[in-house]
Amino acid sequence: MEFFGNLLTGFSIAGTWNNLFFCFVGVFFGTLVGVLPGIGPLATMSILLPITYGISPTTAIIMLSGIYYGAYYGGSTTSILVNIPGEAASVVTCLDGYKMALAGRAGPALGIAAFGSFIAGTLSLVVLQAISPALVTVALKFGAPEYFSLMILGLVVLTFLTEKSMVKALMMAGGGVIMGTVGLDNMTGTSRFTFDIPELLDGIGIVPMAMGLFGITEIFLNLEKEIQRSVMAGKVKGLLPSYQDWMESKWAIVRGSAVGFGLGMLPGGGGVIASFASYAIEKMSSKHPEKFGHGAIEGVAGPESANNAAASAGFVPLLTLGIPVGAVQAVLLGALMIHGITPGPMLLKEHPDLFWGVIASMYIGNVLLLVLNLPLIGFWVKILKVPYGLLFPMILFFCLIGAYSVNNSTMDAGLMLAFGVLGYLMKKFDYEPAPMILAFVLSPILESSLRQSLLMSSGSFTIFVLRPISLACLILALVVLGLALLPMIRKKREEIVALEDDIG
Amino acid sequence: MNAERAGGVFWLIFGLAVVYGSYKLELGTFQAPGSGFLGFLAGSFVSLLALVVLLQTFFDKDKKGSLSSLWKDSKWRRPATVALLILVYILALERLGFVLTSLLFMLTMFKWVEKLTWPKAVMVTLAVVVCSYLLFHTLLKTSLPQGAWGF
Repeated sequence: MEFFGNLLTGFSIAGTWNNLFFCFVGVFFGTLVGVLPGIGPLATMSILLPITYGISPTTAIIMLSGIYYGAYYGGSTTSILVNIPGEAASVVTCLDGYKMALAGRAGPALGIAAFGSFIAGTLSLVVLQAISPALVTVALKFGAPEYFSLMILGLVVLTFLTEKSMVKALMMAGGGVIMGTVGLDNMTGTSRFTFDIPELLDGIGIVPMAMGLFGITEIFLNLEKEIQRSVMAGKVKGLLPSYQDWMESKWAIVRGSAVGFGLGMLPGGGGVIASFASYAIEKMSSKHPEKFGHGAIEGVAGPESANNAAASAGFVPLLTLGIPVGAVQAVLLGALMIHGITPGPMLLKEHPDLFWGVIASMYIGNVLLLVLNLPLIGFWVKILKVPYGLLFPMILFFCLIGAYSVNNSTMDAGLMLAFGVLGYLMKKFDYEPAPMILAFVLSPILESSLRQSLLMSSGSFTIFVLRPISLACLILALVVLGLALLPMIRKKREEIVALEDDIG
Repeated sequence: MNAERAGGVFWLIFGLAVVYGSYKLELGTFQAPGSGFLGFLAGSFVSLLALVVLLQTFFDKDKKGSLSSLWKDSKWRRPATVALLILVYILALERLGFVLTSLLFMLTMFKWVEKLTWPKAVMVTLAVVVCSYLLFHTLLKTSLPQGAWGF
């Protein structure tokens, strides 16, 4: 009964005209930036962050979350129609989605992507709602050593799942931790690696860093190659998948939702990894694996469900433990902090309106997205037809405004450019930026929990193995590291890398 | 030079610089870690892994690509030009103000980098800059740099 009572409370908050309007704004802009390559939810959230100063924290988070999960919906459109993923999480959708479009089945591909996303998004919200209160109880038992070990586990999992070279990925995670230490030391007030630049005393901002490493880097890489975008000519018809399509996709959607939710809760998990994992599972479990890569509808349904489930799952550690699992959640955390709210185990008790209001708004947002994505497909296709030469200066311009407006500082815009150049060079030399940004986000929690743990134990590192939750996290991290060395797993990783290269 | 080796050398220098900087910041003790403690650990970790990458280049035959091969057949001048233009935009923004700097920046991008015709470049530039000014400054009340002209 409590489940429905909480949901009802949430709907009474999310259903006000004001919150409905901002939810719509969020999912609309989310879909738009999901459709446009080169500008992601992070840049959009940063650009729209100043609006949230004047509205209630609940409304702010409703809008910002809408941008986030909306972008995943929109990302599939470009993958299917243009073979260019609007979002990194939709990369794998290109494989079969575009092939379906070439075979005249763009409608069912878009339809199953939208319905799969809707079903996965809704299913994961039910689970999110069900497990969050229980997790809060567990989270209250978390002390500094547990937080430290959990961060280590997250970083190891990310480097294991995403990277071509695990050594390089771990190195980038180390680099991210170092970048996270720039600025004033919270415990002693000492300035670290600021080089007498006053703007760096507050540390490097997540917004310029993430926009640089992902947005600007993407633009630079696109600029040095000819982009051939051939948008599907003619009208997209038959968006409703047939009975057979549903039969072929139903388990892919269920499995995708489960995989997405599981991976989405882990620091560094997220939609990109979830979609790749789902594709691999579908191909492995299919009776016709040879169809994959040639227009198998399960290859669209599974990954699209997985990335949307992951988007919802990312809210679990944020709202219950106060841990951002990625850059987007770090911006959400920042938005909450601006309003004087610290996410964590006490959030549910102290701000139930925010907690349940945001969850209920996501149910509404998912319905809005279905309405936005299917009937308005013609509108999104028109946007896709704008030439990249016209588009990229505008995207660049909005990124510059976004970076500047966070602190009204050209230093942030400069940092964005610097990280853009760094990200470009990293890509050239085969270093991935994802572990760096996650380690950067986790660095402050990692540092404070490490130092607090050592203070608690009078300098003994055994504190991390003497506490059961902490020990469990570290054992898991070791298992993951050990797995990476197994020949079978190494082969699988090489296959996934080859798959990514084929699309890229 | 071997590209993989160049990358390894860069991160090794970076890691060692952080180790040195952290040492200067005060490492503290295990009982009371200082400001440089985590930086020292992370810097050592990066240096160690960079060494592994470096050593791999001597034993792994697959990692023989040269630095120049990374930019072979790519139009690298385009991203380099755009990066330079962004830098000029950032440096000029607070001196010339948002509107004027943005007009010049966007016009250069459309006319020079993207080779649009003059009428098209001017039209699109005006539309983008005016609309974004109205949106961010007037509607969203974002504080944009004014410059000497007050806009």
